[in-house]
Formats: sequence, structure tokens, C-alpha cells
Amino acid sequence: MGDGVKIRLGALSPIRVWSSRVMRALQVVALVALLYALAAPPPILVTLGPQRIVHTTNPKIGVHTRVTDEVDEWKIKKNFEMVREMGASWVVEYFPWEYIENEEGTFDWSHADLVVNHARRQGLTVIARLGFVPRWARPKDSVTSYLDEARYPAFAHFVTEFARHFEGRVQHIIIWNEPNLNFEWGYRGVDPASYTRMLQAVYPRVKAAVPTAQILAGALAPTLAPPGTPDAMNDLDYLQAMYAAGAREYFDALAIHAYGWTAPADEPPAPRRINFRRAELLREIMLQNGDASKHALITEGGWNDHPRWTKAVHPAERITYTLRAYDLCQAWDWLDACALWAFRYPFPAQSYLDYFTFVTPEFDPKPIYYEVQKYAVR
Amino acid sequence: MTDIRRQRRGDKGARQAHIGQRVARSGCWRVGSLPLAIVLLCACAWLAFVLWFPKPPPKPDATWLHILESGAFRVGLDPSFPPFESDDATGNLYGLDIALANELAREWSRANETPIHVEFVYSGFDGLYDALKAQQFDAIISALPYDPKKTEDVYFSHAYFNSGPHLIVRADDATTQTYYDLQGKAVGVELGSSGDAFARRWQRRLKLDLRTYHTPTDALRALRAGQVDAVFTDLIAFNDFAQSTGGVKQVGDALANEFLVIAVRKDSPTLLAQINTVIDAMKQDGRMERLYAEWLVK
Repeated sequence: MGDGVKIRLGALSPIRVWSSRVMRALQVVALVALLYALAAPPPILVTLGPQRIVHTTNPKIGVHTRVTDEVDEWKIKKNFEMVREMGASWVVEYFPWEYIENEEGTFDWSHADLVVNHARRQGLTVIARLGFVPRWARPKDSVTSYLDEARYPAFAHFVTEFARHFEGRVQHIIIWNEPNLNFEWGYRGVDPASYTRMLQAVYPRVKAAVPTAQILAGALAPTLAPPGTPDAMNDLDYLQAMYAAGAREYFDALAIHAYGWTAPADEPPAPRRINFRRAELLREIMLQNGDASKHALITEGGWNDHPRWTKAVHPAERITYTLRAYDLCQAWDWLDACALWAFRYPFPAQSYLDYFTFVTPEFDPKPIYYEVQKYAVR
Repeated sequence: MTDIRRQRRGDKGARQAHIGQRVARSGCWRVGSLPLAIVLLCACAWLAFVLWFPKPPPKPDATWLHILESGAFRVGLDPSFPPFESDDATGNLYGLDIALANELAREWSRANETPIHVEFVYSGFDGLYDALKAQQFDAIISALPYDPKKTEDVYFSHAYFNSGPHLIVRADDATTQTYYDLQGKAVGVELGSSGDAFARRWQRRLKLDLRTYHTPTDALRALRAGQVDAVFTDLIAFNDFAQSTGGVKQVGDALANEFLVIAVRKDSPTLLAQINTVIDAMKQDGRMERLYAEWLVK
């Protein structure tokens, strides 16, 4: 057998040897090509799709979405599709400053563009909430809600660039979130005068660059914190203090957080009660300060149906109160939008917060979703 | 042809034959023998390691040992969820979970011939897992729903109650055995409940006439009055209505599982096994049914 092989191989010509080498080289090339094909990004499967419009009987219905941390484009699109199909026209979305201007002066709009373009393609109006201070704009070891007054110009610059980049796509911009809470104000004592100075730094620059931009102030947390409490300041007192500090000329509309906790939507407002109609008390303060011409937008609010949380209601109550709240909003001529918290979380919060949502992280609609849909297309 | 040329030609032929053999050999090695040898070598090395270095015995469950030594089983709970756990004006705890915890301690006392009592530690519901991790107590018994996402952090016991929706029909209904039998029929649910969510998932396929009510009791009243053919609700609401009003019965298993379980830390496998043993025994000998009857029916 060995001799046989020797005889056969011994007759191997140089051409056959070279052809064997060429074949081997071709195999290597084919393998590399295969690996490249496997490693290459897949073709784009998610597109913006055709322009849609929202069919609704109540054009003020809105929700706060949570797609900031959503990576997959199809999920972003699916979120907004479901919002539209529910009959909501408005979405509030968070655009963290640090995500966009991670290095001073360098802006990455890619994810924000993705979010805004998909929302608009579904016929939704986007209200942008801006905050989350990047590392470069705050002292070391400080929290992302800490912004020193010396850095207000940097924030104003970011907001201006945001307004300029999204001109014609995003008109409403909320400046900060719940500044009447200690932890939303960098764990410093809350300071309505300082927040007003933030508005004063932002407003003129944005309006000069994009006159059509609508600057929303406030977005105050409803709280009954007594005077002097280190953790928070009563939202009514805070708004009045903003006016006293000269905020009136530095915002176009008021953002309101209208949580109902355990009270029905219709419960009359009272300074010592947290309920949905507390929004009317904030409106009263606007009127008392000669700001009747300005409108307001509810950018957070609603009810929670966690079985154990002390501020929650039964699921049936949550649905009933929510629909009634949308009705109230429709009747308030000083209110443009009623965006409740929160449409869907990208992942479970594994706490009572999960019971604020309309849709599960897996996109399963909860009964409240269907009831709002039924209400909106009735 | 000269001798030198012949010699050169001969050398070349030999060289070609050598290359051919090398190609053939290398191909043979590449395809089969070398990887096989490596795999065999690795397998032998692993076998040798396993044989010569057996796994060390598991560390003793310090939590279980502490329970036996101290005679105290520390249970975390949020006493704001009747009929599972509540406290009265004087701070006395009562409910199914309280009775279950006491039954566990009683069973262990008997089995280990050492007195063990339960110490209840209050916590907010959302803080229970963190408090367990911080060793503020040994287990959570607080109508805790099974959560697959938490299985990385804790061990869950066998379920002791299924709070998911069940199929309820009138007592004289002999035809409805499963929800498939409800094709085209009227079903009542509590608006927004898990029974409502289940019914909406099947509504189109089974052409259900879905009717929502503000409470499960309202839905059950409608069932009794013949306004709907079935109700999807949990066993607590059913038991309460069946005892107080009657005229309805539960059919089949849960429509959707919402198991209530006990959670322990991952360093407490013996405690987990002890809990499971008692829960299984209670299900077998009817003690669990008696607990349901005692606490889940007003």
C-alpha cells in the first residue's frame, strides 16, 4: 500500500502541487469571506414607514414614554406605534444632556434623532424633557442633577443646540425636572430663585436662535412638604416663589405633574390635598401673577394600581380615574396636553413603579390600554 | 541526457514525492487525529482532576444553623395585605402568612426537638428583597409573587397559593369545564384585573362577550343572576362570595398562574429545603386547605 502511494505521489507534477496550493488559498479566502459575512451588521430591517396620523376623539391625550434607554430601534418604533394606536397624540420623552453632549461641544444626535423621527412618523407631537448633567459640567462625585449656576450658560448652550437641531420637529422643551425636590436639585436645598436664574439663562438664547421654540418651566413634583423641609418644597409655594424671582418673562408654558394618588379625578382641589385637580391650583397661581395668556401642559401624572403600595388604587379605579382625567383635560381650555406617566418601561422596575404603565416591557397591553383606546376612538 | 541531468531529475522527482506525502499526511492530521487527541487529552485531564480532587463538601447553611441554635425564625413581611397579613390596633399580626410561618416553626420544633418561634420583622413591600439580602431576616413570607427575574438573587420555595384568575360558573352549570367551552358566551371580570387581561387575550378567538365590573363581587353577582355565563376571578373573591352568597362553583385549574412563594437568600439551601418539606407535607395532609378555609374566607 505504501509503495502504491509512493508511486502515485511520486508522479505528482508541479502543476498539481501548485493547483493544490491555489485551492487551499481559495478555501482560506472563502472562509474569510464567510466570517466577514457573519460578522457584518445585518441589513436594515426597521424603517420609519409611512407617515401616520392619530385617530382620536380627544387630541389632548398623551403619555410619557421611556425610550431613552431603549437600544433596539424596533422597540422604539413599536412604542410609538402603540401610543398612536391607543389614541394618544402627545408624548413626553427624556433627552439626557450627558447622552447627547458627552464631551463639551461635541453633540451626538443619533439616538435622539431616532426617537424623534419615529415619534413624528407616527403622527405624535414630542415634548422634550432636558436634564442630566454630564460629567464635564459638574464637580467630581456630584450627582447628575447637580448643576452649578456657573454652568448655566453651558446648559443654555445645550438647550439652544437642541432647539436648533430639532427645529420644525420638536417645539416644546421642558427645562429640568421637579426642581422642588432635593434629589432632583443635586441634593442641595431647593432654590426657586436659582431655578429662575436657570430659566433666565436658557430662555433668551433659545428664543434668539429658534423663536418658535416653546420653553416649558416647572414640572414640579406635587408635594405637601411643610416649609423648611430639607427634602422638598411645596409645589404651590415653589411656583409662587418662581414668579417672585421674576420667572414670568422666561417661559412660554407651565409643565405640570398631576398625580392622583388615591383620590378620584374629580376630587376638588385643595392646597392640603394631592390629587389630579391640584393642576387647577397651579393655574390659579399663574392667573394671580398675570400669566393668564400662557397655557399649561400636563407632562406627568396619573394613577398606580400596585396591589400593595399605599398610594395605589384598584385597577378598575385607575382606569375610571384615568379616563375621567382625560375628560377634564379636554375641558380645560388653558391646557394643551395631558401626558400621563408612563406608557411602558424598557425593563421592569421591579417595584410599585411597574404599576403606572399602560403596556408591559414585553409590549403586552394592560386592560387600561384597551380602555383608553376604546375611549379615544369612541 | 547526462548523468548529472538524470541525477537532478531524480532529485526533483523525490522532492515532489516528499511534498505529496507531506500534503497527504498533513491533510490526514489536520482533519482527524490531532483534534481528537487534544479532546481525549482534555477529557483525561478533567477525569483525573475530578477523581483526584473531589468537590469539597457544601458549606453548612449558617441561616438554618442559626435558627436551630437561637430558636428564632425571623420572617420579613409588610403587614398591609389582608387576608395574608395585617395587624390590628394593638399590633397583633394575623393572616394566612402569619399562620403559615407559625406552622413552619411548629413543624421544625417537633422535628428537631428544639423550640423554635417566629420573629416577624416589618418592612415596606418594595424593600423586602433588600432587607433579606441585608440579613435583617431569614425569609420573606408576605404574599410574595413568584418572580422569575429574581431567581438570580434568591431561592423561591414551592408555591403555597395560586392567586391567579380561575374560572367560576354557576353551581348548576354542568357543561362548562374549561374556558374553551365559553365560545360566544358572556364573561364577567373585574375591570383591570388579571382575569380581565386573560379574557381580553382570548376575547377575539373565543368571541367572548366581555363585561367588566368594578369589583369581583359585582361580577359574581351578575353570574348568579344569569347576566353572564362565567367569571374570571381569583380564589379569594370566589371563596368569599361562595361562603356568603353561594350559587357559584370553581372549575378546573388557574387560568393564569400567579404563585405566592417564600423567598430565602441563596446561602440558605437547607432552610429552603426545610420550608419546601413542610409546605409539601401541608398540601398532602390537608393542613394547607384548612389554612385557606380559615383565612381566605371571611
